[in-house]
Amino acid sequence: MDTISLDSLTALDTLLSDEEKLARDSARRFIREEFLPDIAGHFENATFPTEIIPRLGALGWLGASLEGYGCAGVGSVTYGLVLQELEYGDSGLRSLVSVQGSLAMYAIHRFGSPEQKERWLPPMAAGKAVGCFGLTEPDFGSDPGGMRTTAKSTSGGFILNGNKTWITNAPIADVLVVWAKLDGPGQEHIRGFILERGMEGLGTPPIKNKMSMRASHTGEINLTDCFVPAENILPGSGGLGSPLACLNQARMGIAWGAMGAARACFDAALEYSTSRMQFGMPIAGKQLIQKQLADMAIEITKASLTNLHFSRLKDKGRLSPIQVSMAKKNSVAQALTIARTARSILGANGISLEYAPVRHMLNLESVYTYEGTNEIHELIIGRGLTGVSAF
Amino acid sequence: MNILVPVKSVVDVELNIRVKDSHIVEDGLNYILSKWDENALEAALQLKEAGGGEVTAVTVGPARSGEALRKAMAMGADKGIHINDPATEGSDSWGYARVLEAVARKGSYDLIITGRQSQDTDMGSTGAFLAALLDLPLVVNVIHMERQSEAGRLEVHRKGDGDTEVIELALPALITANDSLNEPRLASLKGIMAAKKKPLETLTLADLSLDASQVGAQGAAIEIMGFEAPPGRAAGKKFEGEPEEVTAQVVGLLASEAKIFT
Repeated sequence: MDTISLDSLTALDTLLSDEEKLARDSARRFIREEFLPDIAGHFENATFPTEIIPRLGALGWLGASLEGYGCAGVGSVTYGLVLQELEYGDSGLRSLVSVQGSLAMYAIHRFGSPEQKERWLPPMAAGKAVGCFGLTEPDFGSDPGGMRTTAKSTSGGFILNGNKTWITNAPIADVLVVWAKLDGPGQEHIRGFILERGMEGLGTPPIKNKMSMRASHTGEINLTDCFVPAENILPGSGGLGSPLACLNQARMGIAWGAMGAARACFDAALEYSTSRMQFGMPIAGKQLIQKQLADMAIEITKASLTNLHFSRLKDKGRLSPIQVSMAKKNSVAQALTIARTARSILGANGISLEYAPVRHMLNLESVYTYEGTNEIHELIIGRGLTGVSAF
Repeated sequence: MNILVPVKSVVDVELNIRVKDSHIVEDGLNYILSKWDENALEAALQLKEAGGGEVTAVTVGPARSGEALRKAMAMGADKGIHINDPATEGSDSWGYARVLEAVARKGSYDLIITGRQSQDTDMGSTGAFLAALLDLPLVVNVIHMERQSEAGRLEVHRKGDGDTEVIELALPALITANDSLNEPRLASLKGIMAAKKKPLETLTLADLSLDASQVGAQGAAIEIMGFEAPPGRAAGKKFEGEPEEVTAQVVGLLASEAKIFT
């Protein structure tokens, strides 16, 4: 009996341009040949191969969708396909690329002065400077408008005080985009500041003992009377809408990325179940397993087509934040279910890092919660459908 | 140095290839740039980066072959030439070499680099035929290239039986690339975006003053009678018993059936 591959089944290629396929193929090859051989070890030891960051830059994957300043300026589908392949490798790698490009670089590109763009974007695009994005605080996660971090005007600049937490890349970042309330309590005063490694009063302790995203540097940003020069405020930023615009930018990429993790889990489950013999036959011959594989393939196909459709809309400037929430929520929730199912299909071997599913399953618990929790996205969709806010 | 790199779009053999009625089932096939051609292209790009010049990629095939050219240009080739003519369908190596000869004569190239073979037919003769038609010195299966050679000369290495042959070539010449020659680069996003603006010339046989009878199935010296799927693997043999007995049985069978000791 001839089999059909997941790629043939989704037939996404029939909707892609040659350039989009080429970009996807480069990322796919990089992940399989250069990244996957070592990732389980990095996950186990809670390290990240930082030496590959300049290579990510050379391949054009950092800030890929931005125009100018050494960025490739590709469309949303190309960017999404690359992120999907990167997360086939590991959510930690995709998170680094998302935070660098869609959050830190995007914030500078959209809200920065020409001088700030010239100074920071080219080294960030090349992977010579790593960026992070400080919005979440210990007491303000889903409700960032309540942030306590403050900026007070002083001679020649600002004094920042406060704490940010769960910040991807913070411990290794050279450039830190930090959001703070400037001289006042209201949300309209929320402004973005570019902080640089080495500034006095700036600390970035790592968060240890994570059971998820172990191959990713996560940390806090501690600001104690940290002086930031006047030229480091993002002049175009103002209000909570500014950081939220950045998050919206990143979320579509996360929707694509999660499907990469899902595909990796599907591939592992398919390979394992067709070779694992029990009761004298491969377990793939059991109806319970076939139903699980069929459901995985269906959800991957549905989410992939949604991501593609919404990204095409994004490039036409017609994508709404509600649609972004639909894509992020659906992709990540489905990927998490797929990862858990794949883990179970692999039986006892499913808990070993020798196989990808358990690593993806643990990582996706973070992806489920970050960049707008699953529930917050449900509230955004619910508010859109009913016109009533349930926050 | 101006370098011509013929590239071929081939069926991706990583996917299942199905054979029906002596023909390969085209439906659902994926086409890729033949892997040895990537080595040829990488070699050309390295020579250009070291000493200047221009790299031209050329392919012969239907519209879908254009994808191989776009990949070549995304990797760094400066321009592409696509010979897209239905009369080239069914060409054997000789036919391809005839078309490539005409392309080479239209330009001015110091070096032609091909893959040592294409990934689909594994024939490995197009490069040699092309060198013969152009009356160029030929070195096949190159595993190393010296980049700092004096102008008009190129030092290349190839693997012999247990040792290495070092050959100094007078240019123009043709070499074919082994996959150990280099590690082909990945197409970067900037390369992919830049490739969209590079010149891509599409030509027919008439543009090359070639006659349809010289190429394609008509001009082929070889006729492919059909394809057969490889036979399924027979079940293995299981030996049970004491290690001494089993060893004696296995050694006996290796000698009598597999005849590995003769």
